[in-house]
Amino acid sequence: MTPSLVILDAVRTPFCRAGSALAELDAVELGRAVVSALLTKTGIDPQVVDETILGCVGQPPQAQNIARVIALRAGLPQSKPAFTVHRNCASGLEALTTAHAKLCARQGEVFIVGGVESMSNMPFYFSRQAVAKFAALSRARSPGQKVGALAAFRPADFSPVIGLQLGLTDPVSELNMGQTAELLARELNIARDAQDAFALRSHLRAQSTVHAPGEVCPLYVGGKVVQSDNGIRPDSTLEKLAALKPLFDREYGTVTAGNSSQITDGAVAMLVTSEQAAARLGLQPLGRLSGYSAVGCDPARMGLGPVGAIEKLHPGNLDEFDVVEINEAFAAQVLAVLKSLKHEIDPAKLNPRGGAIALGHPVGATGARLVQSALIQLHQTNKSRALISLCVGGGQGVAATLERL
Amino acid sequence: MNSLVLDPTHLEPPVHHHRLLRQPEAFHLHVDEKGIAWLTFDSPESQANVFNEATLRELDDHLDAVELDPSIHALVIRSAKEKIFIAGADLKAVRSLPPAEVDGLIRLGQAVFSRLASLPVPTLAAIHGACAGGGTELTLACDARIASDDNVTRIGLPETQLGLIPAWGGCTRLPRLIGLRSALDMILSGKLLSAKDALKRGLIAKVVPKDRLEAEAGHIVLSLTKSRPHRRFWDTLWPISSIIGWQTRRLLLAKTRGLYAAPLKALETVLTALRLNLETALELERTTMLSLAQSEATVRLIDLFFRKEAASKSSASSPHQISRVAVIGAGVMGSGIAQWLVSRGIHVLMCDVKPEAIAAGLARVNERLSEAVKRRLMTKQQAREAKDRLAVTAERVPLTSYHLVIEAATEDIGLKKKIFADIAPRVSEDTLLATNTSALGIREIATAVPMPDRVIGLHFFNPVHRMPLVEIIAHRETSDIAIGAAVAFSRAIGKTPVVVKDSPGFVVNRILTPYLMEAVKLHAQGHPAAVIDEAMLDFGMPMGPLRLLDEIGLDVAAHVASTLHLDASLLTPMIGKGHLGVKTGRGFYDHSPGIKHPRTSWAHVPWLQDQLADLMSDEAKKVLREDIASAAEIDLAMVLGTGYPPFRGGPLSHARVFR
Repeated sequence: MTPSLVILDAVRTPFCRAGSALAELDAVELGRAVVSALLTKTGIDPQVVDETILGCVGQPPQAQNIARVIALRAGLPQSKPAFTVHRNCASGLEALTTAHAKLCARQGEVFIVGGVESMSNMPFYFSRQAVAKFAALSRARSPGQKVGALAAFRPADFSPVIGLQLGLTDPVSELNMGQTAELLARELNIARDAQDAFALRSHLRAQSTVHAPGEVCPLYVGGKVVQSDNGIRPDSTLEKLAALKPLFDREYGTVTAGNSSQITDGAVAMLVTSEQAAARLGLQPLGRLSGYSAVGCDPARMGLGPVGAIEKLHPGNLDEFDVVEINEAFAAQVLAVLKSLKHEIDPAKLNPRGGAIALGHPVGATGARLVQSALIQLHQTNKSRALISLCVGGGQGVAATLERL
Repeated sequence: MNSLVLDPTHLEPPVHHHRLLRQPEAFHLHVDEKGIAWLTFDSPESQANVFNEATLRELDDHLDAVELDPSIHALVIRSAKEKIFIAGADLKAVRSLPPAEVDGLIRLGQAVFSRLASLPVPTLAAIHGACAGGGTELTLACDARIASDDNVTRIGLPETQLGLIPAWGGCTRLPRLIGLRSALDMILSGKLLSAKDALKRGLIAKVVPKDRLEAEAGHIVLSLTKSRPHRRFWDTLWPISSIIGWQTRRLLLAKTRGLYAAPLKALETVLTALRLNLETALELERTTMLSLAQSEATVRLIDLFFRKEAASKSSASSPHQISRVAVIGAGVMGSGIAQWLVSRGIHVLMCDVKPEAIAAGLARVNERLSEAVKRRLMTKQQAREAKDRLAVTAERVPLTSYHLVIEAATEDIGLKKKIFADIAPRVSEDTLLATNTSALGIREIATAVPMPDRVIGLHFFNPVHRMPLVEIIAHRETSDIAIGAAVAFSRAIGKTPVVVKDSPGFVVNRILTPYLMEAVKLHAQGHPAAVIDEAMLDFGMPMGPLRLLDEIGLDVAAHVASTLHLDASLLTPMIGKGHLGVKTGRGFYDHSPGIKHPRTSWAHVPWLQDQLADLMSDEAKKVLREDIASAAEIDLAMVLGTGYPPFRGGPLSHARVFR
């Protein structure tokens, strides 16, 4: 029998728009704070943790294998290994499913998993030509050589390539993520007002969310407390959303900044173990990971990833799930998934606390946030089963099912 | 084991009478194939190397051997100790010997070091570990010095801090080596320099990694040419040296009010020695040293030094290794304690019910750490590691993984009992529970929990990073294990613990508060605040009583006074008006930004000083009679906890001498 992985506790940072309250903290600081908060909240001895597995999409150049850097700085023992996983937007969930795979392989029983992303701190790159010129300049010794090296620069050399933009462009189809959403909207005939209505719903649902105690850990930046998500716009209206210009297809497009997920900083950490280890630690689990799947699809239509992933994981009808969380990369994309699924999802059960359109989408962390949020909702409503799914840039879909314990 | 290698043509080594006692050898001499004599100082059965008559004579004998052996081309002096090169002169000898023998010891040291300086072969000191006082003076008599880059390597002349002066050539040789201004700074401050700083000042020739120290020493010593440091040309010009002397004297008098003789004498000695030849200069060092060594102030400073050493010495490792501590309260004391602990390698959880208080506490910790980096007390990396050791929470989290909980909440017995009752069910079965109260009864707080034997008082002083004292308060039921663990912990984090009995105000606040209240009374009787404060500054206190009240906060002081059943009603009107001191911008003084308080020229009122000082001494006698702490502990606690003038020894020593 496959061993089962239980989630003992989960903590996340506030999710804050890139360039806002958490911009001063890099991904390592975010991760250190959230792992430290998890250790503090659970009160476990760091020695019992077998491995730390974190998802991160844009790893900072000064912290390669960021999971290891975070583990050490959060006070986990040097002798305990750590590694970073990357499945684009699903990295935070990948950390959880990887822990399950390791548990099945008897390579550990107690894991810290989660995801971190500081989209405020995504690097800027110089072009290869510019880099070559900088190198020539640093090699130049005599004043003459230096002048020569400087003279080789052209204005274009100083306009950097934005790392974030590169990351959000599919290298195979060469479409920006927003353009893949436009494609789905066109092909599946998803109107602008339906998208805006879905976005508005996300903000209103997020605004009325009641957090569980300790769900969000405050962060401390420059003498100030940052305790709440700052992307939610409770004053959002259909009129305001309708006034926004399309971002990716200026003339005929329907995808706007208002009905897309936000670019955000945030981190999530969870303590997950075997059932036996949970009993040993004397902690009551929140829930169990009962299944998961990953599928590939057309990179140009990556938004439909959840369709294949959900149907592979659970071919029957979806009524048995009390909470369904589908990551809101784009309103058009979620609506496209709903249209394409064989079985219907009760709208009341879908993203009951809103989603990434309101909270933001720190790409490496979101998968783990969905797990945390789904489990807390099951406890708050005293229900038993949840389904979560994310579309993944590059043409993939992942899904997972959770049971309350 | 003695690897003394002598020229076989040489006759018997000279025999000194004391050698007949066959004391265990403190020096080992070994000559390698290149003709380098390696003289290793390694006092048997001791962690430190010190100079006393026996070790000086032994060194002298080895210098004989080096001088007489033509196969020796160079001499390197090193230490075999892990953390100490040479700690200096044996202070116990200086403290206990009759004057004639102290004189003999000074003469002997000077003679041996002068002999080292005039050896025909090049000499080098390879310094690793603490090199202080006489140790540094030995290296000054060598042709060159190099040092390891290790953290334990510290070089300096701390004599003036103990009421003495460097008299084995330090006052004479140091200015010739590094210049007058820099030498005065080292001698008068008594600071111990890191190898890097010593290199900058030109005191040493090179800083090398510890494992390269010997190889480098062997390499460098063979390339040395014999040279004697010369007086700097500038320093010999009388206007220059007199201007430096005048400036330094002025600063020194402003700082010490002329209460400390040693730095002033050191200054005169250094300035005069600069104009004299070596022998006359050494003669001056000797007579000055003799006049100081027997003075009351010096004897008291040395006694205090020994008491502090004894109180701070790490005991055998306690069964409870405390490496994880929870601090309750993120206020000034809580964050101060947390900052100190994380800087000393302890993992800390700082708890407060208010996230805003945590934010402010963290900001204070970060500010203090940045300041430490700026002042080069720690590296950036060390500061980051310290920050990483600090976790925070505003939630009611499990505390089972913490070995010690220190409650540092507001001074309110009801609140403290509530916190203890709240903590008790969350800790493990051997967690120590401490309160950082400054005056409240420990026994009373302990009634709130089912394990009173693990409850103890751990009274840190504000500002935590500057005040070396921790009062450890045991109530009747506190277990010996808990006391032992608290003492070992305080020492491990670099503080000096004094164990006292559970009685209102313990030692420091018990003695200080009546003195502060008396100052308030005198002020109410019409003596200006500045006059009262000046009187006590002249006594040697680091801060006048009324200014200190402004720093503490009048409300806090009134609360402590009421705990001690002292009348604080004179403070009530000021507290009512919100004049609480520095924190509200107004107390006995106006602390509005931009206002400066020039030193006043108020009429001196001599009886003020006596009356206030006597009050402290009288209260100290009561504390002693009530057996709350020993006389030595009371004096030490007052010096370390309040800055009571060290040269007066403490309130009890002061009373003994002057009454």
